[in-house]
Amino acid sequence: MPVQEGIYGLLAEFNTPEELVVAAKAAHDSGWRRLDCYTPYCLEEAAEAIGFHRNFVPLVCLVGGLMGLTAMFLMETWVAVFAYPLNVAGRPLFSWPAFVVPAYEWTILWAGLSAGFGMLALCGLPSLYHPLFNAPNFRDGATTDKFFLCLEASDPKFSILESRAFLENFQPTSVVEVEY
Amino acid sequence: MAHGPYSNSLPDLKTPAFVNDWRRGALITAAIFAVASAVLAYLAASLQHDGFQHLLRSYLMGFVLCWSFALGGQALLMLQYLTGGKWGLVVRRPLEAMARTLPLVALLFLPIGFCMKRLYLWARISDPAAAFKAHLITHDEAHAIAWKRPMLGIGSVWIQTIICFAIWFTFLYFMDRWSVQRDADPEPHVHFWQTRFENISGFGLVIYSITMTVVAIDWVMSLDVTWYSSMYGFLFLVGQGYAAFALVIYTTLKLSKAEPLKTVLRVTEQHDLGKLAFAFVMLNIYIAYSQFLIIWSGNLPDEIPWYLDRIRGGWGVIATLDFVFHWLVPFTLLLSRDIKRNKRRLMLVCGIMIFARCWDTFWLIAPNFPDAARNLHLSFGLFEYVTVPITVGAIWMWYYFTQLQKRPIVQTNDPHFDEIMEAQHAHA
Repeated sequence: MPVQEGIYGLLAEFNTPEELVVAAKAAHDSGWRRLDCYTPYCLEEAAEAIGFHRNFVPLVCLVGGLMGLTAMFLMETWVAVFAYPLNVAGRPLFSWPAFVVPAYEWTILWAGLSAGFGMLALCGLPSLYHPLFNAPNFRDGATTDKFFLCLEASDPKFSILESRAFLENFQPTSVVEVEY
Repeated sequence: MAHGPYSNSLPDLKTPAFVNDWRRGALITAAIFAVASAVLAYLAASLQHDGFQHLLRSYLMGFVLCWSFALGGQALLMLQYLTGGKWGLVVRRPLEAMARTLPLVALLFLPIGFCMKRLYLWARISDPAAAFKAHLITHDEAHAIAWKRPMLGIGSVWIQTIICFAIWFTFLYFMDRWSVQRDADPEPHVHFWQTRFENISGFGLVIYSITMTVVAIDWVMSLDVTWYSSMYGFLFLVGQGYAAFALVIYTTLKLSKAEPLKTVLRVTEQHDLGKLAFAFVMLNIYIAYSQFLIIWSGNLPDEIPWYLDRIRGGWGVIATLDFVFHWLVPFTLLLSRDIKRNKRRLMLVCGIMIFARCWDTFWLIAPNFPDAARNLHLSFGLFEYVTVPITVGAIWMWYYFTQLQKRPIVQTNDPHFDEIMEAQHAHA
């Protein structure tokens, strides 16, 4: 991958979630699409403000769950019927009521693991480098008490002067340029 | 409707006028199905010589369902007082209205109470040893009737029923009275009322689970006098929560077509209600399947016939569909976030859940009787299990809607009241 150079985007810092949501919503409404919000905790309104869209985590979770269900049920069937057939109190070898509980547990386990790891993978994690960490205020505040809106340079609307002016309309604590 | 001194500054909290149409609809339904039931009962008695026996059994089914809604409503009311939260405030008044139908449910018990001998084997047999000698009952039945006599006797069941209803009425009386006082309180004594309701609800839920188990054993489980399951009470408890919660969501969503619930019920709260309904769906299948798995694994001659009665001879179809309606369909639908957040779709799911409860109650009650056990057959009597519960249920619904109209649809003096009355909220 070639080294990327130049500006990654403009990062505006806010002290309250309300200010961030107002600015993010205004940016999205005026046509911005390559932008992102960074908050110290989950803020659903921010996600909605920048156009919450579907992702593939639910699908990954569903597929994982179904795989767990199938894998365990088939494994139990294989063990009980073919690999190690045992006469348990005269019941048929294929006694599915007994298979339900482990199959259910594996459904939950696989669905949970798929959702967790699928979410991380779809977020692009693990990631060794992200340009935003070049901004000192982001490093200090993004996980504690600051709320950030980043307008990315890859958006066709991006222009250093106009975008900065746009962000400053919302009285952020600061607007900084972030380099790659 | 007075909301206390500051009612002028409050928006109109009255129940929408279209509830009147619901009441009329319920009465018309009751009338139509009562006629259908009478015709079916006559046909069954005259052509198939069943002597009106299905009428009483299907009436028991209808009664148990109404009781589930009323008492389940009271239990959920207590639950939301204990947990707090906006979802509880949104459904509080419909739950109160469900709980206030308890007098009607007590009235509906009378036919069961006076016809116990026609329904319950233990009520018919006064001397089990003699009945066994005369080959009227099996040895197991004679043994069970003799040993369970202290609990299962006509007088004893009447006493238990009366005590349980008295306890439920006591809770109903205080919770309803305080609710009215809370609305009328001129000072915002939010904390005072919160604590007061929490205190009664904590005790209430414990006592509810005990009393509910007692009558569930008396009225339904004892239809098969030899069988017992220690999980039965809990299974019924979760089933009641399942049914009552589906009904209250359905009602609230239907009411939210008009103000004030149009503003009050936001997508966030609706989503929360959907998630809790999902939890009930999971818990219900968990309990129901656990009971089945334990009895299936044990495979003991005094337990397994209860399931065999309900699986063999055509009943397997009913049992499988019970699983499909009760768990598979609501579970798969409620997995979706979109369905939980869409009013019409969530109403559809809740409708399926209520239907599933009716289906399950049929499966619990009907195969207890010797002519029906392991022998599901088409008869006029079978259709009475449709028409009679609908008649009883429609009468109950009429009374429920009447109660719903009696109070403002949102309760004041709640910590979340101001927030849910805002037209637009940003709780960031």
